[in-house]
Amino acid sequence: MPTIKFAPIKIVTRSSFCFIAFIIFALSSTSLVVSANIGGTIETPKTVSTTSPTVKSSEQTAPSKHWKNIENSGRNQDVFFHAWGGDPQINSYIKWVAEQVKAKYNINLQQVKLSDTSEAVSRVLAEKSANNDNQGSVDLVWINGANFAAMAEHSLLLKNWANELPNFTLTDPINNPAVTLDFGVPTQGMESPWGQASLSFYYDELATTNPPKTLNELLVWSKKNPGRFSYPKPPDFLGMSFLKYALVVLHQQSDAITQVQDKSQTQAQLYLPTTPENIEIILEPLWAFLEVLHPQLWRKGEHFMQSGVEMRRLVDDTELSVAFTFSAPEVPAAVQRYDLPNSIRSYAMQDGSLSNTHFVAIPYNASHQQSAQLVANFLLSPQAQAYKQKANVWGDRSVLIHSALSDAEQALFKAQQPHPSALPVDSIKATLSEPHPSWVSAITDGWQARYGVTR
Amino acid sequence: MSLENNTQVVFNNKQVDDKQVNNKQVSKSAVATDWFTVMVKHSPKFLLLLLVVPVFGGLIGVILPALGWAPVLNQYHIGLQAFSELWDTTGLGQMVALSVATGLISTFIAFVITLMILAAFFNSVWLARIQQILSPILVIPHAAAAIAVGFLIAPSGMISRLISPWLSGWEFAPHGIFPHDNYGLSIILGLTLKELPFLLLMALGALAQPELGKKLRQQHKVALNLGYCPMTAFFKVILPSLYPLLRLPLLAVLAYASSSVEMPLILGPNTPPTLAVAIMHWFNDVDLNLRLKASAGALLQLAVTGGILVLWLLAEKMVRVLFCEMLTNGKREYGGAFWQKITSVITTLVVLFITLSLVGLVLWSVAGFWRFPAILPDSLTLLHWQSAIMQMGTPLFNTISIGLITTLIAITLTLFCLEAEQIKGKKVSPFISLIIYMPLMVPSIAFLFGLVLIQQLIPQFIAVKTVYISYINVVIAHILFVLPYVFLSLSSSYRQLDKRFAIVAASLGAKPSKVFFKVKLPQLLTPILIAFALGLAISFGQYLPTLLAGGGRISTITTEAVTLANGASRRTSAVYALMQMLLPLIGFILAWVLPKFIYKSANR
Repeated sequence: MPTIKFAPIKIVTRSSFCFIAFIIFALSSTSLVVSANIGGTIETPKTVSTTSPTVKSSEQTAPSKHWKNIENSGRNQDVFFHAWGGDPQINSYIKWVAEQVKAKYNINLQQVKLSDTSEAVSRVLAEKSANNDNQGSVDLVWINGANFAAMAEHSLLLKNWANELPNFTLTDPINNPAVTLDFGVPTQGMESPWGQASLSFYYDELATTNPPKTLNELLVWSKKNPGRFSYPKPPDFLGMSFLKYALVVLHQQSDAITQVQDKSQTQAQLYLPTTPENIEIILEPLWAFLEVLHPQLWRKGEHFMQSGVEMRRLVDDTELSVAFTFSAPEVPAAVQRYDLPNSIRSYAMQDGSLSNTHFVAIPYNASHQQSAQLVANFLLSPQAQAYKQKANVWGDRSVLIHSALSDAEQALFKAQQPHPSALPVDSIKATLSEPHPSWVSAITDGWQARYGVTR
Repeated sequence: MSLENNTQVVFNNKQVDDKQVNNKQVSKSAVATDWFTVMVKHSPKFLLLLLVVPVFGGLIGVILPALGWAPVLNQYHIGLQAFSELWDTTGLGQMVALSVATGLISTFIAFVITLMILAAFFNSVWLARIQQILSPILVIPHAAAAIAVGFLIAPSGMISRLISPWLSGWEFAPHGIFPHDNYGLSIILGLTLKELPFLLLMALGALAQPELGKKLRQQHKVALNLGYCPMTAFFKVILPSLYPLLRLPLLAVLAYASSSVEMPLILGPNTPPTLAVAIMHWFNDVDLNLRLKASAGALLQLAVTGGILVLWLLAEKMVRVLFCEMLTNGKREYGGAFWQKITSVITTLVVLFITLSLVGLVLWSVAGFWRFPAILPDSLTLLHWQSAIMQMGTPLFNTISIGLITTLIAITLTLFCLEAEQIKGKKVSPFISLIIYMPLMVPSIAFLFGLVLIQQLIPQFIAVKTVYISYINVVIAHILFVLPYVFLSLSSSYRQLDKRFAIVAASLGAKPSKVFFKVKLPQLLTPILIAFALGLAISFGQYLPTLLAGGGRISTITTEAVTLANGASRRTSAVYALMQMLLPLIGFILAWVLPKFIYKSANR
């Protein structure tokens, strides 16, 4: 027998055996403890019945011939759903959707997990530049705001399909502009609403009993509790949302004081596209505010977290005491998953909550357009929307209007006893509309130039 | 082999001799047309092609856009626009400084600790023990290691929990700077811990070579007898002979450390990040024109890494000139006892650090509520494992299938090349062995992007589903990184295989293919399995190649782990990091256990 030359590896195997034995031991002992302690309380999303009799009603409303065609040609295909993949709960939900559409239409829905939606945008743009006009790799994309505006501007999206979806009528589009306007930009049937979100805050009861209820209080509070608050680094969606919230509130305040004499300074400018002239003036109050706030932030504002989920983790670590989210039900869900402590409480800011709708869109060159529409329609179904709204599933607010639903469908949405950490019902007193998408890049650029590099 | 056998062989040979004379003409033409020999003879060329085309193609795919020529973006204007844009980036200096500093310092520290451990424990039982403790780290992917280290050094991490609140008085997590500190200390720590076992094992592997190892050990003993302190003896007698064998691994470590993405992404600062991370962000940006800048950045990265390598080689020369005299000055003692103690302390710290981070990882993966500053979780749960495993199906399948395919190809090619070497009767040319190790020396971020740009042109011509293309791309990219390690691990055992077995078999009339499959391979079963496990481990750990070559469509456990590391609960990340460790370990256990079973059943 020849001797083995890569001798160290042999030892790797031996020590690794011990290591695995250790892990198996740890896991098995845990499983014993768990089965003794918690028993059957762990609820897996899979157990939910999917054959609800109420589902039919929405689809019984005489599907058009157009839709019949789509249903026929869209079956038995793959759909590549490009969606932000940083939250395991959302990924689980998409997995559930995949199982449903597989059973319903034999569609293979595959989530392409993005760390930033812009990755999908650049992919489609690259395909268009390469003249790939019907073999696109993105079939469906989870999108809103600046990314939607960018795709719409470059004509990268399929038009006039969302308003043809049978389930779209359940959103009552005539009386509910939130489903046809994306950050003030008309969707023109290019995207189908999926969920709604408002910026709400949460805090650790054991760390602070008196969380800030307005933007001004936040400044005072963070001076008293230095290092216990921060926001994700723009262009992160959540960090950007906080900056927009601050910007809108700051302009509301200054407008109230000056009684709107100078038109160029007003809040109204925020809802129009940026111009080279007004960027400086409109964003000035925000930078002034951040100059004061930053020294009081986590890590003195020299380092920012990468994402909202990381912020949540820092609250769990007790490094932060106050944080915010765009999806309030995510908070009790995280507590139930042990990702946040039991002492978390949710609330909404008294000076207003930034609100928006998020959508799914189909690129113009998608390989499986019909299948993607079938999926989008399923995402809009009462069954999928109600399941999504459950706190232990995802907890994302439904876009369907209750009055448009049958009684049986409405019953799907009945929530159980709210969790103590959940956002109390009706706590959102005032909503703030999202500024025009063009402000996002203006804020990002300004922020990057001022705080992107620590000096 | 016994003497008896040998004489028999000679006897047999003589008998066959006159037959062979007759058959010479016939057998020669038979050998030439034998499919096996033809395949084996051409395999080095194929290997060369497989390595050179992606790397150089990738580099061209970076150089052209950097110079402004990018048909995909409708850019045809040749110029230095992209470079001037790169120059104007705020914080570019800091990015480069961070890359250089983390790469150089971490490699240097790892190298110094390796030498100290070797010097202090040379010829002692402790060396084997330290090796046993540290070697599992070798197969832990960088991302998993980074996650574990991050858990440990965070303000709410294990270290601060251990001293809170009884010592520190902290009721809430303190204000800390780790991880993500602006000076890159966390990156240096993570890289050092990961590189240390690699360098140590490489050194021990070199020392395990029978002739060299024996010679050095004897020289060391002579030095001890001449009154040299053990540590002095190591530095003056062993190191000068050992270092040339460590140079290649060191340069590979240096190249990797200065351009890696996982560690800085999970542990590094983001205002600004390291150059490699910044390049990756630019490449993935909505604004496609940033890709030109990213290409220019990739070339800068190439220059930075090249510069560091040159710097290291220069420093090597300087050290040689400066300390050459010391080797022969006859001084026996440089405070050896003191340094020995320091080394023991450092080694203990390193081992403790690694143990703590692994314990922390396992605890987090099963933790219920676990508020700071509790040392243990309030409750334990398998919820995180359950929900993670439910989502792990596709990534797990991809990880394992890509690993198997890649390693199979790499092992086959390596074996064929080594066989070709024996058929030709000379070692592969230095040029080919240089090419084999090239993917380890060229920063992967530099050529992988180019590879992607080129690949984007392909799907239009081939009517294959893009998923399969991504899959094949990932396999090709993985081969680049798996092949060098497989080659490294297999070549010495193959070259040391007793040639007489093959000669006997051939003289008995076995065809070359039969000799290869029936005589050589069974004897090499153990090294092949170990190389297989190593190849799998390398493939499992690849992040950037999977992400880029797959266009983000092929998810593996590693890509998931990195995505989740910055965007998920500690508990889920812990599960993924542990999965990342378990997979390669299972491979190594199989490689360890299987031969025993096979040999046992063969003996019966």
